[in-house]
Amino acid sequence: MPRTTTVECPGCPPIRVLTFDVLGLVKVVEARAKQGGVPKVVERWGEPDTSRHVLAASINDSKFDPLLAVARKSGVTEVLNPINGDLRGLVPSVCQSDVQPEDDAIVGLHLFKKQISDSSSSSGNIVCSKVDGSENYALFGGKGVEANVWDLDKCTKIWTAKSPPKNSLGIFTPTWFTSATFISKDDHRKFVTGTNNHQVRLYDISAQRRPVMSFDFRETTIKAVAEDLDGQTVYIGNGSGDLASVDMRTGIQYCQHVLT
Amino acid sequence: MAVKRKKSNTGDMIVPCGKEDSNSTEKKSNGKEHLLPSMIKNKEKRSAVHAQLKHQKKLEKRKKAKAREADEKRALEIGEEPPPRKIPRTIENTREFDETICKPDDEELFAGNDGDEFSSILKHESTSKILITTCRFNSTRGPAFISELLSVIPNAHYYKRGTYDLKKIVEYATNKDFTSIIVVHTNRREPDALLVIGLPDGPTAHFKLSKLVLRKDIKNHGNPTSHQPELVLTNFTTRLGHRIGRLIQSLFPQDPNFRGRQVVTFHNQRDFIFFRHHRYIFESKESKQSDSKATKGKDTKDEKSAQEKTVARLQECGPRFTLKLISLQQGTFDTKGGEYEWVHKPEMDTSRRRFFL
Repeated sequence: MPRTTTVECPGCPPIRVLTFDVLGLVKVVEARAKQGGVPKVVERWGEPDTSRHVLAASINDSKFDPLLAVARKSGVTEVLNPINGDLRGLVPSVCQSDVQPEDDAIVGLHLFKKQISDSSSSSGNIVCSKVDGSENYALFGGKGVEANVWDLDKCTKIWTAKSPPKNSLGIFTPTWFTSATFISKDDHRKFVTGTNNHQVRLYDISAQRRPVMSFDFRETTIKAVAEDLDGQTVYIGNGSGDLASVDMRTGIQYCQHVLT
Repeated sequence: MAVKRKKSNTGDMIVPCGKEDSNSTEKKSNGKEHLLPSMIKNKEKRSAVHAQLKHQKKLEKRKKAKAREADEKRALEIGEEPPPRKIPRTIENTREFDETICKPDDEELFAGNDGDEFSSILKHESTSKILITTCRFNSTRGPAFISELLSVIPNAHYYKRGTYDLKKIVEYATNKDFTSIIVVHTNRREPDALLVIGLPDGPTAHFKLSKLVLRKDIKNHGNPTSHQPELVLTNFTTRLGHRIGRLIQSLFPQDPNFRGRQVVTFHNQRDFIFFRHHRYIFESKESKQSDSKATKGKDTKDEKSAQEKTVARLQECGPRFTLKLISLQQGTFDTKGGEYEWVHKPEMDTSRRRFFL
């Protein structure tokens, strides 16, 4: 079952997608034709083995030295070349020594272009994290943890979200962010998060602490949120296998794909 | 008077239809599009034409079947090959192409099987231990069904539900080393859903239960013994079906006791899983020579066929029910926050020839 996907160079045909799955395989899927060609698995790297279950992946798509980092369940993080899958290097697990690698699963991974050591500490269960384009700011959210934005240079929390007020029935849903992304690579102030309660929220840290816009999407938890290059559209995916693309300025859904 | 008027009315209406009829009966043999019974507005006349059509079809079918039989018999008598039997078109024959059907040389499938949640039980590394419980309000046929399930599935334990949360029950069961939980859900005093949760972090399958027949309602039923039964799983072809098959397999012990001569069958047909529990016995039967139609050519054949044949006689015991998969969720029971591997949506029922298991 595919778990994480990284897309490189979208917008220009052919589209090349790298998928990672429970068996630890990395597959390259390409769609050759301009408009909706059937995507085919072009290459397959690695042997199927569940101990190499991929948990998170991150790509650093620069012209000279593209790198792809893959975090596996066994605690090992590999750095691969995304063009042909060669192993470039291994990063041993950075978990604390008294915690089993399998329990303290790596939930988010970002490949830093520069060598910056990341140190952050917070209480609660962090489920999702994202670093913005210029790599100065990082965003964290989780179960019981409100969305926070940290400044990585100074390693301090600069902004915390506030949950929306009780709804008309008086019911308060506890906070549980399942995925988050900055809405564009340059702007660290606006970001979109998905919650366990099938809600998608847009926050603007320069405006207010409550979400600027929030809307519901179907009935199950929002598992993935990704931004488009144009800075306006956001793609969301939920637990039942439905995908949609939404314009964040207006909240209108462009299209929806329901898994059948 | 009214009757006469009606007759005259129908008489009036019949006349133009009659003309149509006479014109189109010649065309009917060429193409049925010219007069279908549904085109006649008059109900009495329409039903009469329809009945006539059906009767004709029945006679034709009978004639064809007789001709086929006569051909076969003649061919056998002469000693030639009888003409090949035609294969009827069924919905299973014309099933839509499904790319998720498991292929026998799929190494990813085997690797996935090695690492999935059931592999430890299926590789004989641990034994299955089942916890059976119910929904909060359980009455009438529920308890009877549960007691029968306890006799079918070895190493199954029943606990009353009380008012515990299902997520808490999952925790308690994992602590006590159970391998799966079965929750029988009752609606309107009749069991109608089955929730199978694998432990410790196994998938949750939600089935719809129907057509439940308890042991006491089966004629000439047998009584199951405590031997471990054999398991027969048929027709789970797709990846999803394969996974469900392994889920069911993990409920039963992997070392059946053949001397107990009991078999539990889960047969999948058109996405419905039929559960049957039989006791079987092998018997040898001598087939006698057929007295009539013994020609010279046939004598040698008859001698060969007068041999012993072993047949298996079945006696049904235990409950009989059908299951249909509603959803398969990864992880233990968590409807709101869990990821679904497969969930049935009405948009999926695009064609009568499309099945998912």
